Amino acid sequence: MIRDPQRDLVASSGAGQAPLVSTLADDPDMAELVQVFVQELPQRIAAIQEALAEEDLERLTSLAHQLKGAAGGYGFSPITEIARLIEHQARDRMAGEMLRQTVDELADLCRRASAC
Amino acid sequence: MSHKQTVLIVDDSQAIRDLIPARLKGLGVHILAADSGAAGLEMVRLHEPDLVLLDVNMPGMSGFEVCQALKNDPQTHDIPIIFLTGSDELLDKVKGFDLGAVDYVTKPFDPVELCARVRAALRTKALMDMLTNQAQLDGLTGLHNRRYFDERLEQELDAGRRYNRSVGLLMLDVDHFKKINDEFGHPRGDEVLRRLANILVTFCRSSDVACRYGGEEFAILLAESGSEHTFQCGRRLLQAIRDSRDLHSVIGRPVTVSIGAASVQPGEGRMLPSVLVDSADRALYAAKNKRDCIIADTGMTSITSAAG
Ligand SMILES: [Mg+2]
Repeated sequence: MIRDPQRDLVASSGAGQAPLVSTLADDPDMAELVQVFVQELPQRIAAIQEALAEEDLERLTSLAHQLKGAAGGYGFSPITEIARLIEHQARDRMAGEMLRQTVDELADLCRRASAC
Repeated sequence: MSHKQTVLIVDDSQAIRDLIPARLKGLGVHILAADSGAAGLEMVRLHEPDLVLLDVNMPGMSGFEVCQALKNDPQTHDIPIIFLTGSDELLDKVKGFDLGAVDYVTKPFDPVELCARVRAALRTKALMDMLTNQAQLDGLTGLHNRRYFDERLEQELDAGRRYNRSVGLLMLDVDHFKKINDEFGHPRGDEVLRRLANILVTFCRSSDVACRYGGEEFAILLAESGSEHTFQCGRRLLQAIRDSRDLHSVIGRPVTVSIGAASVQPGEGRMLPSVLVDSADRALYAAKNKRDCIIADTGMTSITSAAG
């Protein structure tokens, strides 16, 4: 299997079951917005998994692109990084095991995401 | 820059439309948002924002297409655009600048950087607005200048033809102005013009255009104003000038003006700038013979006076 250094970096930074707390957790201006963003993560992940299951790579690219642009702004850079990987893999039509693994990783990160 | 500037966000992502206003809170700007390129284009035309933050990647009309449409339209051509683009889309940035964007911000964005770029773009826009504005103003009175008047006259007559509306014009000249200058000196003469300009400004509706036409001559363009309304406006203005102690105190005795009134109606087939200006000028010339009065040029013949 081809190693992707960026991927290794992400994977090692997000290991375990510890919550992924937003870096904006202490920003009172952002608290409410971050909370809404976290609440909507399960829907986003569901849509991404559905696109993967249907092998609709165009939709998957677009959903990953959106998540990539937003997550970092809400204090979740690791999610942005994984979403970036998915966007690239899906755009390059790298369907299959590798893409599935990356989506699983994303799902795991999103499950652990926490506003505070 | 006294008025609040407006920033329009055009992005298909709700998360981004929520995030940016929170991040720009400190700038004290008014923020609008649109969720698609087409909706954004419509909002730009409706609200004429001072800055557009434009997402590149949107379903339907892309950010590039929106940018192109805005740059091709003289009404929206000068509104600055900052593209919001993914951090790894280098080509997007190059293309964005080619299309006339002033800057770009990569998503996810750093809030400090976003604020700095937005602030810089807004400051430049405010300066440009000021320069444009100054080029259209008369230095002595602060009223619009002759150049602006000529442009607006053309526009109002266009609109009049299109929407079937009359356009009125009052031309006003200070009586014995040369005498005032000779007797009291030019600084006092200038003060007369300034205070007269103040009266005109107070008198005008927001849709009217008051300008210094040249020397001691002023013009007021009245949108949607037929001959009767134009004449009544002129009469009220004449009275306001007669009643202004502020104006008369400059030279310690009454300053009077002569006013010529004219209007053009759609359907007359003569809604041309020269027709309206000549008509008002003719009336003013007639009024100058009597002074402290208003005369309307209704068509070519009948002349009404409301002196006394
Ligand atoms: Mg987008």
